[in-house]
Amino acid sequence: MKILPLVLWVALIGAAPAQKLVAADSATTDDDRAVRWKTIAESVFGDRKIEPTETLIRLDAPQRAQDAALMPVTLIMPEKDKIKSVYLVIDDNPSPLAAHLTFGPAADPGLLQLRVRVDTYTNVHAVAETRDGRLFGTVVFVKASGGCSAPVASTDEEAMKGMGEMRMKFTQGAAPGKPIQATLMIRHPNFNGMQMNQLTRNYTPPRYVDKLSVSYGDSKIFDLDADISLSTNPVITFSFVPAGQGPVKVVASDTMNGRWEQSFDMPATTN
Amino acid sequence: MHALIETVAKAAIILGFALGPAVANAGAAADIPEPQGLWIGAMHGQTPKMLNGAVVVDLAAIEALMAEKPLLLDVGPAAHKPQDFPSDRPWLPIHRSIPNAIWMPGAGAAPLDAGREELFYRRIEELTHGDKTKPIVVFCRPECWGGWNAGKRLVTKGYTSVRWFPAGTDGWQDKRETTEVKPDTEWIAEPTR
Repeated sequence: MKILPLVLWVALIGAAPAQKLVAADSATTDDDRAVRWKTIAESVFGDRKIEPTETLIRLDAPQRAQDAALMPVTLIMPEKDKIKSVYLVIDDNPSPLAAHLTFGPAADPGLLQLRVRVDTYTNVHAVAETRDGRLFGTVVFVKASGGCSAPVASTDEEAMKGMGEMRMKFTQGAAPGKPIQATLMIRHPNFNGMQMNQLTRNYTPPRYVDKLSVSYGDSKIFDLDADISLSTNPVITFSFVPAGQGPVKVVASDTMNGRWEQSFDMPATTN
Repeated sequence: MHALIETVAKAAIILGFALGPAVANAGAAADIPEPQGLWIGAMHGQTPKMLNGAVVVDLAAIEALMAEKPLLLDVGPAAHKPQDFPSDRPWLPIHRSIPNAIWMPGAGAAPLDAGREELFYRRIEELTHGDKTKPIVVFCRPECWGGWNAGKRLVTKGYTSVRWFPAGTDGWQDKRETTEVKPDTEWIAEPTR
Protein backbone atom coordinates (compact mmCIF):
# COMPACT_ATOMS: atom_id res chain seq x y z
CA MET A 1 0.00 0.00 0.00
CA LYS A 2 1.43 3.31 -1.01
CA ILE A 3 0.11 6.83 -0.83
CA LEU A 4 0.05 8.79 -4.06
CA PRO A 5 3.06 11.15 -4.08
CA LEU A 6 2.29 14.77 -3.29
CA VAL A 7 3.54 15.92 -6.70
CA LEU A 8 1.00 13.72 -8.43
CA TRP A 9 -1.71 15.04 -6.18
CA VAL A 10 -0.95 18.60 -7.08
CA ALA A 11 -1.07 17.60 -10.74
CA LEU A 12 -4.41 15.86 -10.32
CA ILE A 13 -6.02 18.69 -8.40
CA GLY A 14 -4.63 21.18 -10.86
CA ALA A 15 -6.03 19.22 -13.79
CA ALA A 16 -9.56 18.92 -12.44
CA PRO A 17 -10.93 22.38 -13.31
CA ALA A 18 -9.57 22.15 -16.85
CA GLN A 19 -11.26 18.80 -17.33
CA LYS A 20 -14.51 20.28 -16.16
CA LEU A 21 -14.35 23.07 -18.71
CA VAL A 22 -13.83 20.57 -21.49
CA ALA A 23 -16.67 18.34 -20.32
CA ALA A 24 -19.11 21.23 -20.11
CA ASP A 25 -18.84 21.78 -23.83
CA SER A 26 -21.27 19.46 -25.57
CA ALA A 27 -19.50 19.89 -28.91
CA THR A 28 -16.61 18.09 -27.28
CA THR A 29 -18.79 15.06 -26.69
CA ASP A 30 -19.54 14.95 -30.39
CA ASP A 31 -15.80 15.17 -31.02
CA ASP A 32 -15.37 12.32 -28.53
CA ARG A 33 -17.75 10.21 -30.54
CA ALA A 34 -16.02 11.13 -33.78
CA VAL A 35 -12.69 10.07 -32.31
CA ARG A 36 -14.24 6.83 -31.14
CA TRP A 37 -15.60 6.12 -34.62
CA LYS A 38 -12.21 6.87 -36.17
CA THR A 39 -10.57 4.32 -33.85
CA ILE A 40 -13.13 1.66 -34.72
CA ALA A 41 -13.08 2.41 -38.44
CA GLU A 42 -9.28 2.09 -38.52
CA SER A 43 -9.51 -1.19 -36.68
CA VAL A 44 -12.16 -2.64 -38.99
CA PHE A 45 -11.45 -1.01 -42.34
CA GLY A 46 -7.79 -0.06 -42.06
CA ASP A 47 -7.02 2.99 -44.18
CA ARG A 48 -10.00 2.54 -46.52
CA LYS A 49 -12.00 5.71 -46.87
CA ILE A 50 -15.63 5.71 -45.76
CA GLU A 51 -17.68 8.18 -47.74
CA PRO A 52 -20.89 9.68 -46.39
CA THR A 53 -24.08 8.81 -48.21
CA GLU A 54 -27.71 9.82 -48.17
CA THR A 55 -28.81 7.35 -50.78
CA LEU A 56 -26.80 4.14 -50.78
CA ILE A 57 -27.60 3.04 -47.26
CA ARG A 58 -30.02 4.18 -44.60
CA LEU A 59 -30.26 3.01 -41.04
CA ASP A 60 -33.49 2.84 -39.09
CA ALA A 61 -33.47 2.15 -35.37
CA PRO A 62 -35.76 3.26 -32.56
CA GLN A 63 -34.40 6.42 -30.98
CA ARG A 64 -35.21 4.86 -27.65
CA ALA A 65 -35.16 1.08 -27.51
CA GLN A 66 -37.74 -0.68 -25.37
CA ASP A 67 -35.34 -3.51 -24.68
CA ALA A 68 -31.62 -2.88 -25.06
CA ALA A 69 -31.01 -6.61 -25.45
CA LEU A 70 -33.36 -6.80 -28.44
CA MET A 71 -33.06 -3.62 -30.43
CA PRO A 72 -34.25 -3.92 -34.03
CA VAL A 73 -32.03 -2.34 -36.65
CA THR A 74 -33.16 -1.97 -40.25
CA LEU A 75 -30.77 -1.34 -43.12
CA ILE A 76 -32.27 0.03 -46.30
CA MET A 77 -30.23 -0.01 -49.49
CA PRO A 78 -32.34 1.33 -52.37
CA GLU A 79 -29.62 1.00 -55.02
CA LYS A 80 -29.39 -2.64 -54.20
CA ASP A 81 -27.58 -3.83 -57.30
CA LYS A 82 -24.53 -1.84 -56.26
CA ILE A 83 -24.20 -3.44 -52.83
CA LYS A 84 -21.74 -6.22 -52.19
CA SER A 85 -21.70 -6.36 -48.41
CA VAL A 86 -22.71 -4.42 -45.34
CA TYR A 87 -21.16 -3.87 -41.90
CA LEU A 88 -23.08 -3.02 -38.75
CA VAL A 89 -21.12 -1.28 -36.02
CA ILE A 90 -22.41 -0.36 -32.55
CA ASP A 91 -19.79 2.19 -31.59
CA ASP A 92 -19.86 2.00 -27.82
CA ASN A 93 -20.36 -1.72 -27.44
CA PRO A 94 -17.14 -3.23 -26.13
CA SER A 95 -17.04 -5.34 -29.27
CA PRO A 96 -18.26 -2.75 -31.77
CA LEU A 97 -18.40 -4.82 -34.95
CA ALA A 98 -21.78 -6.53 -34.66
CA ALA A 99 -22.14 -8.09 -38.09
CA HIS A 100 -20.72 -8.28 -41.58
CA LEU A 101 -23.09 -9.61 -44.18
CA THR A 102 -22.06 -10.47 -47.73
CA PHE A 103 -24.76 -10.78 -50.35
CA GLY A 104 -24.83 -13.57 -52.91
CA PRO A 105 -26.39 -13.74 -56.40
CA ALA A 106 -29.84 -14.70 -55.09
CA ALA A 107 -30.00 -11.77 -52.68
CA ASP A 108 -32.16 -8.71 -52.93
CA PRO A 109 -30.04 -6.40 -50.75
CA GLY A 110 -32.71 -3.71 -50.52
CA LEU A 111 -33.64 -4.49 -46.93
CA LEU A 112 -32.12 -6.20 -43.98
CA GLN A 113 -33.23 -6.33 -40.37
CA LEU A 114 -31.38 -7.62 -37.33
CA ARG A 115 -31.85 -7.52 -33.58
CA VAL A 116 -28.90 -6.40 -31.53
CA ARG A 117 -27.71 -5.77 -27.98
CA VAL A 118 -26.78 -2.24 -27.04
CA ASP A 119 -24.60 -1.55 -24.02
CA THR A 120 -24.99 2.20 -23.65
CA TYR A 121 -26.34 5.24 -25.49
CA THR A 122 -24.36 5.12 -28.67
CA ASN A 123 -23.89 5.89 -32.30
CA VAL A 124 -24.70 3.00 -34.62
CA HIS A 125 -22.97 2.94 -37.98
CA ALA A 126 -23.86 0.98 -41.09
CA VAL A 127 -21.24 0.79 -43.80
CA ALA A 128 -22.09 -0.53 -47.24
CA GLU A 129 -19.40 -1.92 -49.49
CA THR A 130 -20.18 -1.48 -53.15
CA ARG A 131 -19.28 -3.94 -55.87
CA ASP A 132 -16.56 -1.58 -57.04
CA GLY A 133 -14.98 -1.76 -53.57
CA ARG A 134 -15.95 1.61 -52.12
CA LEU A 135 -17.33 2.12 -48.63
CA PHE A 136 -20.29 4.30 -47.76
CA GLY A 137 -21.41 4.95 -44.21
CA THR A 138 -24.37 6.28 -42.31
CA VAL A 139 -25.05 6.79 -38.62
CA VAL A 140 -27.86 7.10 -36.07
CA PHE A 141 -27.76 7.75 -32.34
CA VAL A 142 -29.74 5.35 -30.16
CA LYS A 143 -30.80 5.53 -26.55
CA ALA A 144 -30.56 2.05 -25.12
CA SER A 145 -28.52 0.71 -22.28
CA GLY A 146 -27.64 -2.48 -20.45
CA GLY A 147 -28.22 -4.93 -23.30
CA CYS A 148 -24.82 -6.58 -23.15
CA SER A 149 -24.94 -7.75 -19.54
CA ALA A 150 -28.66 -8.51 -19.36
CA PRO A 151 -29.18 -12.16 -18.34
CA VAL A 152 -30.58 -14.38 -21.10
CA ALA A 153 -32.93 -16.46 -18.95
CA SER A 154 -33.34 -17.50 -15.35
CA THR A 155 -30.92 -20.38 -15.89
CA ASP A 156 -28.38 -21.19 -18.58
CA GLU A 157 -30.00 -24.60 -19.09
CA GLU A 158 -33.33 -22.97 -19.81
CA ALA A 159 -31.69 -20.56 -22.24
CA MET A 160 -30.17 -23.47 -24.16
CA LYS A 161 -33.40 -25.45 -24.61
CA GLY A 162 -34.05 -26.25 -28.24
CA MET A 163 -30.78 -24.66 -29.34
CA GLY A 164 -30.48 -24.62 -33.10
CA GLU A 165 -34.19 -24.90 -33.88
CA MET A 166 -35.15 -22.66 -36.77
CA ARG A 167 -38.26 -21.20 -38.23
CA MET A 168 -38.77 -19.16 -41.35
CA LYS A 169 -41.62 -16.89 -42.19
CA PHE A 170 -42.24 -15.66 -45.71
CA THR A 171 -44.04 -12.37 -45.79
CA GLN A 172 -45.47 -12.58 -49.29
CA GLY A 173 -46.51 -15.29 -51.64
CA ALA A 174 -43.88 -16.19 -54.19
CA ALA A 175 -44.01 -15.06 -57.76
CA PRO A 176 -41.34 -16.18 -60.21
CA GLY A 177 -38.55 -13.66 -60.55
CA LYS A 178 -40.02 -11.29 -57.95
CA PRO A 179 -38.27 -10.55 -54.65
CA ILE A 180 -39.67 -12.13 -51.54
CA GLN A 181 -39.06 -11.22 -47.94
CA ALA A 182 -38.25 -13.82 -45.32
CA THR A 183 -37.65 -13.76 -41.60
CA LEU A 184 -35.38 -16.38 -40.11
CA MET A 185 -35.56 -17.15 -36.41
CA ILE A 186 -32.95 -19.32 -34.73
CA ARG A 187 -33.30 -20.53 -31.19
CA HIS A 188 -29.94 -19.90 -29.57
CA PRO A 189 -28.96 -18.22 -26.29
CA ASN A 190 -26.15 -16.34 -28.02
CA PHE A 191 -24.29 -16.09 -24.73
CA ASN A 192 -21.86 -13.23 -25.19
CA GLY A 193 -19.54 -14.07 -22.30
CA MET A 194 -20.47 -10.84 -20.51
CA GLN A 195 -23.56 -12.13 -18.76
CA MET A 196 -23.10 -13.09 -15.13
CA ASN A 197 -24.93 -16.04 -13.70
CA GLN A 198 -26.72 -14.33 -10.83
CA LEU A 199 -26.47 -17.40 -8.60
CA THR A 200 -22.91 -18.55 -9.13
CA ARG A 201 -21.51 -15.07 -9.91
CA ASN A 202 -19.56 -16.64 -12.74
CA TYR A 203 -19.71 -15.35 -16.26
CA THR A 204 -21.58 -17.73 -18.52
CA PRO A 205 -19.02 -18.80 -21.13
CA PRO A 206 -19.58 -17.28 -24.55
CA ARG A 207 -21.45 -19.35 -27.08
CA TYR A 208 -22.95 -17.53 -30.01
CA VAL A 209 -23.86 -18.01 -33.64
CA ASP A 210 -20.89 -16.66 -35.56
CA LYS A 211 -21.60 -17.94 -39.06
CA LEU A 212 -24.82 -18.07 -40.95
CA SER A 213 -25.20 -19.03 -44.57
CA VAL A 214 -28.49 -18.84 -46.44
CA SER A 215 -29.03 -20.07 -50.00
CA TYR A 216 -31.85 -20.60 -52.44
CA GLY A 217 -31.21 -23.86 -54.26
CA ASP A 218 -27.58 -23.64 -55.32
CA SER A 219 -27.55 -19.88 -55.27
CA LYS A 220 -26.26 -17.96 -52.24
CA ILE A 221 -28.48 -15.36 -50.64
CA PHE A 222 -26.02 -14.20 -47.98
CA ASP A 223 -23.21 -15.13 -45.64
CA LEU A 224 -23.21 -13.54 -42.22
CA ASP A 225 -20.23 -13.14 -39.92
CA ALA A 226 -21.81 -12.34 -36.59
CA ASP A 227 -20.53 -11.21 -33.26
CA ILE A 228 -21.63 -11.22 -29.62
CA SER A 229 -23.84 -8.20 -30.19
CA LEU A 230 -26.58 -10.18 -31.93
CA SER A 231 -29.50 -10.80 -29.59
CA THR A 232 -30.54 -14.03 -27.97
CA ASN A 233 -32.62 -16.09 -30.44
CA PRO A 234 -31.29 -14.25 -33.49
CA VAL A 235 -33.86 -12.96 -35.93
CA ILE A 236 -32.92 -11.74 -39.36
CA THR A 237 -35.19 -10.42 -42.05
CA PHE A 238 -33.85 -10.43 -45.58
CA SER A 239 -35.05 -10.43 -49.10
CA PHE A 240 -34.18 -12.61 -52.07
CA VAL A 241 -35.21 -13.40 -55.62
CA PRO A 242 -36.25 -17.01 -56.05
CA ALA A 243 -35.11 -18.37 -59.38
CA GLY A 244 -35.12 -22.05 -60.26
CA GLN A 245 -35.49 -24.74 -57.68
CA GLY A 246 -35.63 -24.07 -53.95
CA PRO A 247 -35.70 -24.71 -51.11
CA VAL A 248 -34.21 -22.03 -48.88
CA LYS A 249 -31.38 -23.65 -47.02
CA VAL A 250 -29.87 -22.32 -43.81
CA VAL A 251 -26.59 -23.43 -42.28
CA ALA A 252 -25.78 -21.93 -38.88
CA SER A 253 -22.77 -22.60 -36.72
CA ASP A 254 -21.67 -21.32 -33.34
CA THR A 255 -18.44 -20.76 -31.48
CA MET A 256 -18.68 -24.10 -29.64
CA ASN A 257 -18.75 -26.17 -32.85
CA GLY A 258 -22.51 -26.37 -32.92
CA ARG A 259 -23.80 -26.74 -36.48
CA TRP A 260 -27.39 -26.73 -37.64
CA GLU A 261 -28.88 -27.10 -41.07
CA GLN A 262 -32.45 -26.71 -42.14
CA SER A 263 -34.37 -26.29 -45.39
CA PHE A 264 -37.59 -24.38 -45.88
CA ASP A 265 -40.01 -24.76 -48.73
CA MET A 266 -41.40 -21.66 -50.29
CA PRO A 267 -45.07 -20.90 -49.83
CA ALA A 268 -47.30 -21.68 -52.79
CA THR A 269 -47.13 -19.31 -55.74
CA THR A 270 -49.79 -16.64 -55.70
CA ASN A 271 -51.43 -15.55 -58.88
CA MET B 1 -39.77 15.18 -5.48
CA HIS B 2 -36.10 14.94 -4.56
CA ALA B 3 -36.62 17.48 -1.79
CA LEU B 4 -39.10 15.11 -0.21
CA ILE B 5 -36.70 12.21 -0.52
CA GLU B 6 -33.98 14.29 1.10
CA THR B 7 -36.29 15.29 3.95
CA VAL B 8 -37.32 11.73 4.63
CA ALA B 9 -33.75 10.55 4.40
CA LYS B 10 -32.56 13.26 6.77
CA ALA B 11 -35.27 12.32 9.24
CA ALA B 12 -34.10 8.74 8.98
CA ILE B 13 -30.54 9.82 9.70
CA ILE B 14 -31.61 11.83 12.74
CA LEU B 15 -33.77 9.05 14.14
CA GLY B 16 -31.08 6.48 13.53
CA PHE B 17 -31.07 2.96 12.23
CA ALA B 18 -34.20 1.81 14.07
CA LEU B 19 -36.48 3.81 11.82
CA GLY B 20 -34.66 2.83 8.63
CA PRO B 21 -36.64 -0.32 7.83
CA ALA B 22 -39.90 1.36 8.89
CA VAL B 23 -39.35 4.15 6.40
CA ALA B 24 -38.42 1.68 3.71
CA ASN B 25 -41.54 -0.36 4.39
CA ALA B 26 -43.87 2.62 4.37
CA GLY B 27 -44.22 2.61 0.59
CA ALA B 28 -45.66 0.09 -1.86
CA ALA B 29 -45.57 -3.64 -1.16
CA ALA B 30 -42.95 -4.08 -3.86
CA ASP B 31 -40.48 -1.95 -1.90
CA ILE B 32 -37.26 -3.73 -1.19
CA PRO B 33 -36.28 -3.45 2.46
CA GLU B 34 -32.80 -2.27 3.28
CA PRO B 35 -30.51 -5.08 4.37
CA GLN B 36 -28.87 -4.57 7.75
CA GLY B 37 -25.39 -4.64 6.29
CA LEU B 38 -24.08 -4.96 2.76
CA TRP B 39 -26.18 -6.77 0.20
CA ILE B 40 -24.45 -10.03 -0.68
CA GLY B 41 -27.06 -11.41 -3.09
CA ALA B 42 -27.16 -10.96 -6.86
CA MET B 43 -25.69 -7.59 -7.79
CA HIS B 44 -28.22 -6.87 -10.52
CA GLY B 45 -31.77 -6.35 -9.29
CA GLN B 46 -34.25 -4.01 -7.72
CA THR B 47 -32.74 -1.96 -4.92
CA PRO B 48 -34.31 -0.25 -1.89
CA LYS B 49 -35.60 3.27 -2.34
CA MET B 50 -33.50 4.37 0.61
CA LEU B 51 -30.01 4.13 1.95
CA ASN B 52 -30.02 4.84 5.63
CA GLY B 53 -27.43 7.46 6.48
CA ALA B 54 -27.24 8.73 2.92
CA VAL B 55 -29.44 11.03 0.88
CA VAL B 56 -31.07 9.61 -2.23
CA VAL B 57 -30.66 12.09 -5.08
CA ASP B 58 -31.93 12.63 -8.59
CA LEU B 59 -30.33 14.47 -11.49
CA ALA B 60 -31.50 17.91 -10.37
CA ALA B 61 -30.13 17.36 -6.87
CA ILE B 62 -26.73 16.37 -8.25
CA GLU B 63 -26.60 19.43 -10.44
CA ALA B 64 -27.50 21.61 -7.49
CA LEU B 65 -24.66 19.98 -5.62
CA MET B 66 -22.05 20.50 -8.34
CA ALA B 67 -21.00 23.91 -6.96
CA GLU B 68 -19.72 22.10 -3.88
CA LYS B 69 -17.48 19.98 -6.10
CA PRO B 70 -18.62 16.62 -4.79
CA LEU B 71 -16.62 13.47 -5.32
CA LEU B 72 -18.48 11.70 -8.12
CA LEU B 73 -17.90 8.03 -7.51
CA ASP B 74 -18.92 5.60 -10.25
CA VAL B 75 -18.78 1.93 -9.21
CA GLY B 76 -20.37 0.59 -12.39
CA PRO B 77 -19.00 -2.68 -13.71
CA ALA B 78 -16.29 -2.85 -16.35
CA ALA B 79 -17.10 -4.86 -19.49
CA HIS B 80 -15.96 -8.41 -19.00
CA LYS B 81 -13.91 -9.58 -21.97
CA PRO B 82 -15.44 -12.88 -23.11
CA GLN B 83 -13.10 -15.83 -22.92
CA ASP B 84 -11.64 -16.91 -26.28
CA PHE B 85 -12.68 -13.62 -27.84
CA PRO B 86 -11.44 -13.75 -31.46
CA SER B 87 -8.10 -11.98 -31.74
CA ASP B 88 -8.96 -10.55 -35.15
CA ARG B 89 -11.99 -8.65 -33.83
CA PRO B 90 -11.75 -5.27 -32.18
CA TRP B 91 -12.26 -5.36 -28.40
CA LEU B 92 -12.58 -1.71 -27.46
CA PRO B 93 -14.49 -1.32 -24.19
CA ILE B 94 -15.48 2.23 -23.35
CA HIS B 95 -17.06 3.56 -20.17
CA ARG B 96 -19.03 6.77 -20.29
CA SER B 97 -19.96 8.52 -17.09
CA ILE B 98 -20.72 11.83 -15.45
CA PRO B 99 -17.90 14.20 -16.43
CA ASN B 100 -15.05 14.14 -13.89
CA ALA B 101 -16.31 11.01 -12.18
CA ILE B 102 -13.83 8.70 -10.50
CA TRP B 103 -14.53 5.19 -11.75
CA MET B 104 -13.81 2.27 -9.48
CA PRO B 105 -15.40 -0.67 -11.28
CA GLY B 106 -16.74 -3.33 -8.95
CA ALA B 107 -16.12 -1.32 -5.75
CA GLY B 108 -19.67 -2.10 -4.64
CA ALA B 109 -19.25 -5.85 -4.82
CA ALA B 110 -19.87 -7.81 -1.64
CA PRO B 111 -18.22 -9.63 -0.18
CA LEU B 112 -15.08 -7.83 -1.28
CA ASP B 113 -11.61 -9.17 -0.64
CA ALA B 114 -10.30 -7.54 2.58
CA GLY B 115 -7.37 -5.95 0.76
CA ARG B 116 -9.65 -4.50 -1.91
CA GLU B 117 -12.01 -3.09 0.69
CA GLU B 118 -9.07 -1.47 2.46
CA LEU B 119 -7.87 -0.02 -0.83
CA PHE B 120 -11.35 1.36 -1.49
CA TYR B 121 -11.40 3.16 1.86
CA ARG B 122 -7.88 4.45 1.34
CA ARG B 123 -8.71 5.82 -2.11
CA ILE B 124 -11.81 7.56 -0.81
CA GLU B 125 -9.77 9.04 2.02
CA GLU B 126 -7.23 10.32 -0.51
CA LEU B 127 -9.87 11.66 -2.87
CA THR B 128 -11.70 13.49 -0.08
CA HIS B 129 -8.42 14.65 1.52
CA GLY B 130 -9.54 13.03 4.74
CA ASP B 131 -12.62 15.24 4.96
CA LYS B 132 -15.48 13.01 6.04
CA THR B 133 -18.00 15.79 5.45
CA LYS B 134 -17.09 16.13 1.75
CA PRO B 135 -20.12 15.43 -0.44
CA ILE B 136 -19.79 12.11 -2.26
CA VAL B 137 -22.22 11.07 -4.98
CA VAL B 138 -22.08 7.33 -5.43
CA PHE B 139 -23.68 5.66 -8.44
CA CYS B 140 -23.66 2.73 -10.83
CA ARG B 141 -26.15 1.63 -13.44
CA PRO B 142 -29.82 1.41 -12.47
CA GLU B 143 -30.88 -1.69 -10.53
CA CYS B 144 -27.33 -2.11 -9.32
CA TRP B 145 -26.69 -3.13 -5.75
CA GLY B 146 -23.07 -2.12 -6.24
CA GLY B 147 -24.00 1.54 -5.94
CA TRP B 148 -26.06 0.90 -2.83
CA ASN B 149 -23.28 -1.17 -1.26
CA ALA B 150 -20.59 1.40 -2.00
CA GLY B 151 -22.77 4.06 -0.38
CA LYS B 152 -23.37 1.76 2.58
CA ARG B 153 -19.62 1.25 3.00
CA LEU B 154 -19.05 5.01 3.06
CA VAL B 155 -21.87 5.64 5.54
CA THR B 156 -20.58 2.88 7.79
CA LYS B 157 -17.08 4.35 7.58
CA GLY B 158 -18.41 7.64 8.93
CA TYR B 159 -18.82 9.76 5.80
CA THR B 160 -21.60 12.21 6.58
CA SER B 161 -22.50 13.68 3.16
CA VAL B 162 -23.08 10.57 1.10
CA ARG B 163 -25.51 10.90 -1.80
CA TRP B 164 -26.76 7.85 -3.63
CA PHE B 165 -27.91 8.37 -7.22
CA PRO B 166 -29.85 5.20 -8.07
CA ALA B 167 -30.62 6.26 -11.66
CA GLY B 168 -26.86 6.17 -12.20
CA THR B 169 -25.11 6.58 -15.52
CA ASP B 170 -28.36 5.89 -17.40
CA GLY B 171 -30.15 8.62 -15.50
CA TRP B 172 -27.35 11.01 -16.36
CA GLN B 173 -26.87 10.11 -20.03
CA ASP B 174 -30.58 10.39 -20.66
CA LYS B 175 -30.45 14.14 -20.03
CA ARG B 176 -26.81 15.20 -20.02
CA GLU B 177 -23.61 14.64 -21.90
CA THR B 178 -21.27 11.97 -20.69
CA THR B 179 -17.53 11.70 -21.08
CA GLU B 180 -15.36 8.67 -21.37
CA VAL B 181 -13.69 7.84 -18.08
CA LYS B 182 -10.87 5.40 -17.43
CA PRO B 183 -10.78 3.27 -14.28
CA ASP B 184 -9.07 4.89 -11.31
CA THR B 185 -5.43 3.92 -11.78
CA GLU B 186 -4.80 3.14 -8.11
CA TRP B 187 -7.94 1.04 -7.95
CA ILE B 188 -7.00 -1.14 -10.91
CA ALA B 189 -3.24 -1.14 -10.22
CA GLU B 190 -3.73 -4.04 -7.84
CA PRO B 191 -5.13 -7.15 -9.46
CA THR B 192 -8.85 -7.60 -9.12
CA ARG B 193 -9.60 -10.80 -7.39
